[in-house]
Amino acid sequence: MHQEWTDRLSDYLDGELPEDERRAVDQHLRGCASCAAVLNDLKRVVARAASIDARPPQADLWRGIAARLNESGEPAPVVPFAPRETRRLAFTLPQLAAAAALLIAVSGAAAWQLEARLGIPGSLRGGRPHDAGGNSGQARQDGGAEPAIRLDSPVSLGVGADGNGAADFARLGNVSMADAQYDAAVADLEGALKAGRGRLDASTVAIVEHNLQIIDQAINQAREALVGDPANGYLSGHLVEARRRKLDLLRRATALASETD
Amino acid sequence: MTAVMTLGGEIPVGSGLDSDVALAAGGDQSAFERLYRTHVSRIHSLTRRMLSTQEADEVTQDIFVRTWQKLGQFRGESAFSTWLHRLAVNVVIERRRSYAIQRERMSDDPTALDQLTVGPARADLKVDFESAIAQLPPGAREIFVLHDVEGYKHREIAVMLDIASGTSKRQLHRARMLMRQHLSGD
Repeated sequence: MHQEWTDRLSDYLDGELPEDERRAVDQHLRGCASCAAVLNDLKRVVARAASIDARPPQADLWRGIAARLNESGEPAPVVPFAPRETRRLAFTLPQLAAAAALLIAVSGAAAWQLEARLGIPGSLRGGRPHDAGGNSGQARQDGGAEPAIRLDSPVSLGVGADGNGAADFARLGNVSMADAQYDAAVADLEGALKAGRGRLDASTVAIVEHNLQIIDQAINQAREALVGDPANGYLSGHLVEARRRKLDLLRRATALASETD
Repeated sequence: MTAVMTLGGEIPVGSGLDSDVALAAGGDQSAFERLYRTHVSRIHSLTRRMLSTQEADEVTQDIFVRTWQKLGQFRGESAFSTWLHRLAVNVVIERRRSYAIQRERMSDDPTALDQLTVGPARADLKVDFESAIAQLPPGAREIFVLHDVEGYKHREIAVMLDIASGTSKRQLHRARMLMRQHLSGD
């Protein structure tokens, strides 16, 4: 047996040799019985491998598989329509800064318009929340009927409190920005506004609703961005600011509604 | 003819196996069990030959669980059996790679053929072919199974295993020469 030839027999058998090499091997095999015998052996190996039967496992594996299927739920979700192209919202800091500036401008303008209608003195801006139950501005200034929002609750950040200055945004007349208290306050104000919106003129309602919509968009965008970067202090601050402005706008609109009798 | 929509597109529900694929893609475990029973012998044989008898059960289960999870991606562009088999090969290769023996196994050791010590005497003419495969060195065994048993081409194996096509050819020849010793008395 000649190894320099037998080393090429598998490639020869599989048709992998270039034509000139294949002819050379052909010629050698015609004169070398031992190499020809090796080739025959290799042919038998290949034939046997190709005809080898599949055998089932000795144990039934289905039970174990079924248990794991139940853990993993259904296969990839069945969808009734072509998959929708999804994209992950990502914001650069300049984009978020621009959004924040827009938010401030919009809500500031709305607040100015509402204040102009109310005649709220600057000293009260950002002060205690107004009572949605119909008390006058003077009554509020005097600490009249307790509003739905707690006045003595500690200030805390609902999202991403990291001591990087975001807490400054969170302070809103001692209303906690923690989710539960914030949501309750917003719900109370929204309810009061809904009850009193009939006392507001259509243009005022439109302004309030439009700006609430913008603020909600800002809140949602900040929340989505925080999902991807939960430790981002800027995003946390942006979210708190947006939430604070929503509360502020609601409060002012509610006060306007309560006073426009 | 109805169809099941999946992330991979619409799978027509016809008859027989195709309908089981579509039903399983829609979450029907009974249909998936039928697919399992149809294909388990081939998949288990693949894992047993590529890995070991001891690992074959566990890896076969992994393959079918993975299949269930990925059924929604099956587009029907190839036969389900082809798709399943390729998925199974990928799982087996991942498993082997996790053992971090790929580099050593694929070394072109010029003395590799001298390592044959397990060949039966010529009197053992009826040696079980599967046992002979199991005694091959890991690299040669992997490529022998993929090429000569499962029918993959060297270029496909090279991609799957991330090796040169020439390495695949050398390992295959090495395996065949070792197997030849088991069969030479037939």
